[in-house]
Amino acid sequence: MRVLIVDDSSVMRKIVARGLRQAGFTITDILEAGNGQEGMDLLATDTNFKLILSDWNMPVMDGLNFVKSVRSGAPAIKNIPIVMVTTEGGESKVGAAMEAGANGHIKKPFTPETLQAELERFLK
Amino acid sequence: MSVANSPELMDKLLNGLRLAVTEMMTAMAMSEVVFAGQESVDAFSLTSEVVGLVRLDGKMHGMVGVSCSSALLREIVSRIVGLSPDELLMEDLLDGAAELANMVCGGMKTKAQIGDVNLSPPVSIVGQEYTAQWKTNRPTTLFTFQMEEGVLKVYASL
Repeated sequence: MRVLIVDDSSVMRKIVARGLRQAGFTITDILEAGNGQEGMDLLATDTNFKLILSDWNMPVMDGLNFVKSVRSGAPAIKNIPIVMVTTEGGESKVGAAMEAGANGHIKKPFTPETLQAELERFLK
Repeated sequence: MSVANSPELMDKLLNGLRLAVTEMMTAMAMSEVVFAGQESVDAFSLTSEVVGLVRLDGKMHGMVGVSCSSALLREIVSRIVGLSPDELLMEDLLDGAAELANMVCGGMKTKAQIGDVNLSPPVSIVGQEYTAQWKTNRPTTLFTFQMEEGVLKVYASL
């Protein structure tokens, strides 16, 4: 299965990719985008993702607007599950993301066990 | 608001910060870290080779900064991402310093349960000779953490 990671931090993209593999998921491909707009550009030509993991604070297009764009996007992408990966633990922000169509939220720092527990339902 | 007038809130924040650093290093970098003490300092002034800064605003205001040597940052980032220190690019070091500051602040916010406080996008500096200073009249606390590969310092003006 294929996963898209949207995060402006090269380190965080590597951390998430490593965590997914350590969590034991069978992932064939992990693609990366540096912000929400890059994520949308990528999804315009490649829609075959089982899950999208997105940061909140990013330049150009932030995570909240990325979620809104995906959910109002083409039929091939609008139902891909999106999980926010962010330090923002405030209930209002989590609530805003879920209201916009996100399917879950993971707080940094996290462990492979956390990823496994939170993402198992999407990556079965 | 300044939390300087609320000793209880200040304690919650400083304890949250200390716990956040320990948890982050243990959970993500799988590094042993020993809390080596905290002290009040006169200025929020950072001079190590690596600095990550995050501004807090909203219900309260302040600044948190982490600093260490570039060798220690390289080791921490390499452990977190699972690459050899030699494989890391300058982009990884800049983003690594930023993420350290980001996660420390996020952890502090969560542990202190302070609610409506926004974290700015982090600022990172990697270089040889500079001083990063925030002129503020808020009290500044310096935390020192001893790691196998060096010393990590965390400044908090709240």
